Amino acid sequence: MEDIMFSLNSVWLILGAILVIFMQGGFILLEAGSTRMKNAGHIAGKTIFTFGISSIVFWALGYGFIFGENGNFLVGLSDFFYSGYEIEGMDYSTAAYFMFQLAFAGISLTIAFGGFAERAKLSVYVVFAILFSALVYPVVAHWIWGGGWLGEHGKQDFAGSTVVHLTGAMAAFAATILLKPRMGKFNKNGTANNLYGHNQVFTALGVLVLWIGWFGFNAGSTFVVDDGFFGFVALNTNLAAGAGAISALIISWMVLGKSDIPTMLNGGLAGLVAITASCAFVETWAAVVIGIVAGVLVFYSMKLFERLKVDDPIFALSVHGAAGVWGTLSTGLFATPELATVGQPGLFYGGGFTQLGVQAMGVGVSGAYAFVISFVLLYIMKKTMNGLRVTEEEEIMGLDISEHGSYGYPEAFLTKEKKISS
Amino acid sequence: MNEPEPMGPYDTLKSWRESHIGNHQTSISELNHFHDTVMQNLFDISLSEVKEKLGPPPCRFSWFVMGSAGRFEQAIISDQDHGLVYHVSNEKSREYFRELGKEISFGLYEIGYPYCDGGVMSSNPLWCKSNEEWEMQIDKWLEEESFESIRFLLIFYDARVLAGEEHGITRLKQQLHHHIEKRPYFLYRLFENTRHVKKAVGVFRQILTESHGSHAGYVDLKHSGFFPYINAIRLLAIKENISDTSTLSRLEKLCGFPEYKELEGCKVDFEKLLNFRLQQHQVSELYDDVHYLDVKKLDKKDRNEIKQILLNGKKLQDYTGTVIKRMLENEN
Repeated sequence: MEDIMFSLNSVWLILGAILVIFMQGGFILLEAGSTRMKNAGHIAGKTIFTFGISSIVFWALGYGFIFGENGNFLVGLSDFFYSGYEIEGMDYSTAAYFMFQLAFAGISLTIAFGGFAERAKLSVYVVFAILFSALVYPVVAHWIWGGGWLGEHGKQDFAGSTVVHLTGAMAAFAATILLKPRMGKFNKNGTANNLYGHNQVFTALGVLVLWIGWFGFNAGSTFVVDDGFFGFVALNTNLAAGAGAISALIISWMVLGKSDIPTMLNGGLAGLVAITASCAFVETWAAVVIGIVAGVLVFYSMKLFERLKVDDPIFALSVHGAAGVWGTLSTGLFATPELATVGQPGLFYGGGFTQLGVQAMGVGVSGAYAFVISFVLLYIMKKTMNGLRVTEEEEIMGLDISEHGSYGYPEAFLTKEKKISS
Repeated sequence: MNEPEPMGPYDTLKSWRESHIGNHQTSISELNHFHDTVMQNLFDISLSEVKEKLGPPPCRFSWFVMGSAGRFEQAIISDQDHGLVYHVSNEKSREYFRELGKEISFGLYEIGYPYCDGGVMSSNPLWCKSNEEWEMQIDKWLEEESFESIRFLLIFYDARVLAGEEHGITRLKQQLHHHIEKRPYFLYRLFENTRHVKKAVGVFRQILTESHGSHAGYVDLKHSGFFPYINAIRLLAIKENISDTSTLSRLEKLCGFPEYKELEGCKVDFEKLLNFRLQQHQVSELYDDVHYLDVKKLDKKDRNEIKQILLNGKKLQDYTGTVIKRMLENEN
C-alpha cells in the first residue's frame, strides 16, 4: 500500500511539474500577444532559453539554497548539483519533488521578465536569468518554504503568491524603473498612449493555458494525493479565477464605459495569483471574494502604475505584484481554524490580527528583499554592461531583427523592406 | 542674402485668412461667414488658375461644401469636404472639372484646410461628376444600401453650394426623398447607419474621458457630443423634407411642426455645444484639439451642463429612432 501511495504521489507531483512548465506556454502567448509584432519572435523565444537557464541554475545552486541544510539566515548550504538521489522516508519521489520545485523557480523568473519586455538587450536576459535564479528567488523561497524564519513564524503561502509571484513582480518593478518606459508610451504632456498588443487571441489563449496550468501550481502543491484534498484546492483556484475575470470586466465597464478585454484577462490572472497563497486555507465563498477583490484591484493597479509613469507592458506589477500582496494578506483574513494547518486562523475566524500581521510582515520583507536585490543587481549590470536597453534604432526596428536577425512574422516585415529598397 | 520665395497664387489669401480669423470668433455663425468668404475667394483663385491653362469653364456647374462646412458649423480648423457637379457630360468637361477639383483641394490645403482623410474632395472622381453621372451614382447608392453607400448619401445630404449654380444639387437631393416615399423603411436604414454613439457618461453618471493618448482625461466632443445631435437632426430633416443644411436651422424648422415641440431644448443644447467648442479655440489651434474638451478645467456648473448635453444627445437619438419606428408602423 505504501508503495502504491508513493507511486501515486510521485505521479501527481510530476503531473504538477508538467502543468507548471506548461504555464511557460501560457506566458509565451500572453506576452507575445500583449506586445507588438516586431518583438513577437524574441519574446516567445526568450522564454524558452531563460527557462533553460533557470533549470540549470536551480539544479546547481537554487535547490541547495532553498532546501539545503547547514543554512544561515539567507539560504541553505548543501545539496548543490542534485544527483537525483532519493531521500529516505519521503512520501514521494525526491526527483519528482525536485522537478516540481524547479518548475516554480522558472515561473518566477518569467514573471520578472515581463517587466523587461520590448526594450531590454538579449544579454541582459541571459545575465539576469542567472542572477535572479541564484540570488533572488532562492532566498525568499528558503525563508517561506525551505524551513527559513518566515516559515517558522507560520507564514501562510500555500503555493506561492509571495514566493513566486510577488518575487517575480518585484524584480519586474526594479527593471521597469531602470529600463524606463518604451518609446512612445508617454506623451510630452504626461498622458499615456496605449501600445496595443498585436494579438488579443493569443493573450486570451495564454490566460486559459495559465489557468489550466495553475491546477498543477496550486492543487499540485498538496504534494500528496492521500485524502483527495487537491480537489478542494483546485476548486478554490477555479472559483477565484472566474470571480476575478468577472469583477474586472464589470469594473472596467463601470468606470470606462466599455468592458475592456485586457483588463478582464488580467482580472482572471489576478484571481489566480491571489488564491495561490490561500487556496488550501479558505472556504469556497472566501475564494470567490478573494477573486472579486483581485479583479477590481488589478484594474486600479494598472491605472496607478500608468499614472506613476511606470511602463509595465505585460501588467506584471499589477497581476503578480498587487494581486500577490492581496492574496498573501487574504489568508490572514479568511483562513479557517480547520484548514490552517500552517499558522493561525484569520481575522474573520476569531484568529485576531496575529496571522494578518505575520502575512503582512512576510509580504513586506519578501517584497522588499526581492526589489532591493534585483534593483542593485540590475543597477550594477547597467553600469558594467553599457546599459540595459537596446538602442533607439533597435527598439524601433524591433528586437526580433535587432537581437536575433530574423522576424517572428517575416511576411509582415520583409515585404515592407523590399518595397522600401526597390 | 536669400532670395525671397516666389509668391504662390494662394499666399495672399492665406495670410489674409490668418490675420483676420481671430476677429471672427465671437459666434459660430460669424466664424462660418468668414470661412465662406475665404472659401469663395479660394474658389475664384483656383478657377482663374485653371482658366489660364484650359480656358473658361465649358459648361455650367456648382461647387458645394459638405461636412461641417456644409452645415455651417466649422470650427476654427476643419478639414475639407467638397464636391463638384457640372451640366454637360463629355470628355472635355470631365477633364476640365477634374483639373479644377484638384486645384481647389490643393488650394484649400495651402491656405489651411487639411485634406479629408475619407477623400471627400472635388479632386476625387467620386465627388466630381456631371449631373447625369451624379443622378446615376445616387441611384446606385440608394439601391446598394451598403454601409458605405448610406454614409455617402448622408454626407451628400449636408451639401451646400458655395460657387456656381445655386440650385445645382437640389434635384439630386430630391432623389433621396423620392426613394423614401417609395420605400419608407430606407429611413430606418439611415438611422441604423449612425446609431452608434460613443458612450460618454458612465453608470455612476461620471463623464467618461479618453483613457489613453494625448487627450487622456478629455471628453471626445466630436463623437460623443456633436455626432448624435447632427445625425438625429439630419434624419428628422430628411423625413420632413427640410432643405436647410445647418443643424440649427434644421432644428428651427422642425420646431415649427407641432409634433417636434420638444426639440426646443435640443436647440439650446446644441448651441451650448457649439460654444464649448468655440471656447476651445482659445486654448489650442490644432485640428484634433478642438474636438476634445478638458473636463478637469471646467467648473462644476459647466461640467454638469456638458454632462446633461451628452445625455440628451443619446436621448435625442433614441427619440429619433422612436419617431421613425412609429412612422413605419403607421405606414403599415
